[in-house]
Amino acid sequence: MRVAVTGATGYIGQRLIRAARLAGHEVLALSRRPVTEPTVAWAHFDLTDTSPLSLPSDIAFVFHLAAETQPLLVRENIETRAARRIIGAAGAIGAGFLFVSSQTSCANAPSAYGRIKWQIERLTLEAGGWVVRPGQVYGGPERALFGMLCSLVRRLPILPAFVPTPLVQPIHLDDLVKALLACLALKTPAVLCVAAPQGISFEAFLTAIARERTVRRQMIVPVPRLLILMVSKLLGPKLSGQLGLTQIRSLFALRQMHTTSHLQQLSLELRPFSAGMTRSGRERRGLLREGRAMLTFVLQETPAGVLVRRYVRAIETLRSPQALRLPELVLDMPNSLSLLDGAKGISTTFQQELNWRLTAALMLGEASPQGACRFLGSAKTISRFRSVMRITRALVTGICLRALQRFLRPWLSRFGRQGTYR
Amino acid sequence: MKGITPVNFDVIIVGSGPSGVSAAFPLLDAGLSVLMVDGGHTPRISPPAGQFLDLRRHDHNQWRWMIGHNFHALKQADAVSPKLRVPTHAAVFEDFELKNRIIAGDFLAVGSLAPGGLSNAWGGGVACLTDSELANFPVKPAEMRASYSAVARRIGVSGGGHDDLSDFFGLDEWSQPPVPIDDLQAGLLSRYPTYRQKLRKSGFRLGRSRVAVLTVPIDGRQECNQSGNCLWGCERRALYSATDDLGLLRGRSGFQYRTEFLVQRVVLRNGSVVIEGNGPDGGFALQARSVVLAAGTLASTRLALRAIDHRVTVSMQSCPTAAFMLCVPKQLGRPPQSAFGLGQLSFSLDLPGGAQGFGSLFNSTGIPVTEFARRLPFGKRAGVDILSALLPSCVLGNLFLPGAMTDASLLLDAEDRLVVRGNYRDGVELMMTAARRLLAASFRRLGAFLIPTSFTVGRPGSDIHYAATLPMTAEPTLGQTNQYGELAGASGIHVVDGSSLSALTAKSHTLTIMANADRIGKHIAKKFATHAANPTPSN
Repeated sequence: MRVAVTGATGYIGQRLIRAARLAGHEVLALSRRPVTEPTVAWAHFDLTDTSPLSLPSDIAFVFHLAAETQPLLVRENIETRAARRIIGAAGAIGAGFLFVSSQTSCANAPSAYGRIKWQIERLTLEAGGWVVRPGQVYGGPERALFGMLCSLVRRLPILPAFVPTPLVQPIHLDDLVKALLACLALKTPAVLCVAAPQGISFEAFLTAIARERTVRRQMIVPVPRLLILMVSKLLGPKLSGQLGLTQIRSLFALRQMHTTSHLQQLSLELRPFSAGMTRSGRERRGLLREGRAMLTFVLQETPAGVLVRRYVRAIETLRSPQALRLPELVLDMPNSLSLLDGAKGISTTFQQELNWRLTAALMLGEASPQGACRFLGSAKTISRFRSVMRITRALVTGICLRALQRFLRPWLSRFGRQGTYR
Repeated sequence: MKGITPVNFDVIIVGSGPSGVSAAFPLLDAGLSVLMVDGGHTPRISPPAGQFLDLRRHDHNQWRWMIGHNFHALKQADAVSPKLRVPTHAAVFEDFELKNRIIAGDFLAVGSLAPGGLSNAWGGGVACLTDSELANFPVKPAEMRASYSAVARRIGVSGGGHDDLSDFFGLDEWSQPPVPIDDLQAGLLSRYPTYRQKLRKSGFRLGRSRVAVLTVPIDGRQECNQSGNCLWGCERRALYSATDDLGLLRGRSGFQYRTEFLVQRVVLRNGSVVIEGNGPDGGFALQARSVVLAAGTLASTRLALRAIDHRVTVSMQSCPTAAFMLCVPKQLGRPPQSAFGLGQLSFSLDLPGGAQGFGSLFNSTGIPVTEFARRLPFGKRAGVDILSALLPSCVLGNLFLPGAMTDASLLLDAEDRLVVRGNYRDGVELMMTAARRLLAASFRRLGAFLIPTSFTVGRPGSDIHYAATLPMTAEPTLGQTNQYGELAGASGIHVVDGSSLSALTAKSHTLTIMANADRIGKHIAKKFATHAANPTPSN
């Protein structure tokens, strides 16, 4: 199919045109600046243009993503006029039309952004088009609102936990793009809310950004919403916009979207948030931490980086690319793996996977000069007495651990019950 | 499928393992034209070069030959034997069950399609059957003796010396001096003379292992330098592998070799024998006056049963195995040292019911500690702590019981698949207990303690020694072979590998198989010498 995408240079737009190409569609990118993607045609498109617009007649579908995101430059009449223009052009060639809206879209939204989205939604629905409302888009390049949050997290000395907690419903950029392309197959126009069905707290969202994208580990400080609202009023709309306070206020005003049935309609399964937040969008970071913990446990010292990467590669290739659901305690104190190793009462699937990975860590750890030191013991003779002492101490530790495992069984049996992987 | 080519070989040998190559030499010596085919997976990873301990402590690439660049060892983490985890041997065992259409339940069915067959990954043990053991075979002991001699001299065996197992092994006269043993086992051996009488009376005899490992170089193969890499592949080629003989054969006129030729059927047609299968260029059918099946017990039996359309169960013998660990307390505190990784000392046991058990002792250095740590009941970390202190003073042992003690069978089903079943007979448990007690008591006298709970009985089939499915008998019926391995009901098909052994003892059987193949090869050569052979092979 040939599809046209406005806002093709944007955060979502760039990803969409690439994915559409990969899916075999021909793409016409519409934006102010030319697009450098190979095999993608380009035509100039500006929201402020008022001249008549005509699209090539072979376009079958139009995705309208273009929007002014700078809060101060948002002009209601410009955006709605542009929307009418593109809807008209799509209608003239009989193409389908999809408008990417926002979770903030509402008739009396606190921000102009939200109100404009609402109006364009109505225009779209009147013309028989589709509306997709994404949740909090994250992942991929640090742009748009996600990018702003990332840079905030990098700069702030603390992470705010607003009280009462606002919930965000995240959706990974690539999952959103998948959803948009899935709409091409739908028959009846509709409003589709595309986001994680369960919300997560905003500070959890920020903490995830901090963990995966920065090296900072800030303290979380509760901030009452009232404070933000007051400060925003005091500073006035201009300054509030600059500091991002307007966007935070929209965050407070978010209403929960019910997305399960819409996701089903699109046959879309969203990746888990923790996986999506990593730089690659995959679980590598988690696996690297797991590998480091496993190998530290096996080698009783910090493993060489190459060993950790080898472990990750082995798990990705031979098992699942997901990290085990190990608690932070275990990852920070690897020797506590002794408590899990071979413990009875832990969920069987978890125990089997843990055992496989421990054995893999054992084998990989041994096959290295570091491993040779640990597994083969000293190259020098030691006295028989010391040798017996060493063996006895290890035996006693082993037996005590087994006893401790039995004692802690009720607590240990909680592991793996919520699932084997993160 | 290509059309059948005219008869252009005197003999086609299916399989390039120890029995196949041993049959080939006498045939070529008589001037016959021979084609050898195998299912061919060639090894892609070279074995390590250098001293094992040095490599372990310094080589950053050791994971490539210990685990494999594609993590072969991890993929095989659940396999029963450490040999199956060695990356260098991955090609040896690959695809055997699949390509040969073998279905095994609880019985471990292992074989090889690779050039050289299972001898790429074997333990090197060699032994001759005594005349009384050969009484079960419809062969003249003198003929076997001549073949034993020819094969032993060709492949090179070592370990012979005047000790209590000389008669047991029966090959000292052809043997090179023994590979030096490590100080752990030297200690055990030194105490043996003091307790010899008592031990022999209780049924325990100790001596040096006889192995197909060179201590004097032969023909481009170097002598053993006790590098300790034995499990991972012998880069010096001190340990015999049939690929060494394959190299020699390929230089001889009249010999042709095709690899990646998977034989699926052997058919008798108008006085000659045809092999059919799949090669790299598609299907093939090749004719010869005689076909020698040397593809290993399971594969050869399947081909043979198909040829005579015998779809009744045939019984198979397989040796029950066990492994154990001894600790030599006097040596506690000793650091690990590179040592010969195959059998250094061997023992024979007289067990209840007149059965004889056999086993060998091994140095543990060349085996990954993980193999043991996984099986200790103390968790992995404590396991490694214990073993790193304990293992250098430990000796590993294995034990084999006579092959008749497993009740195993093969059946060719309606879809031409080979179904393998097997289980230990009832008496095995008692016999293993008796063996364990005898071993514990005997080694205690020699200063070594059998570590409690270390004596583990292996799974049925873990000996990988299965044999005697198409046994040689004086008056063979359908499913048996005559004294020259010729299949009853299919003259022209000779079975020369483990399938045609008449009985399987606890002794290492490879040399016996090779000698038998040599003997049968000589017979075929004599048979054809009376007819003129076609000397121009054409494809």
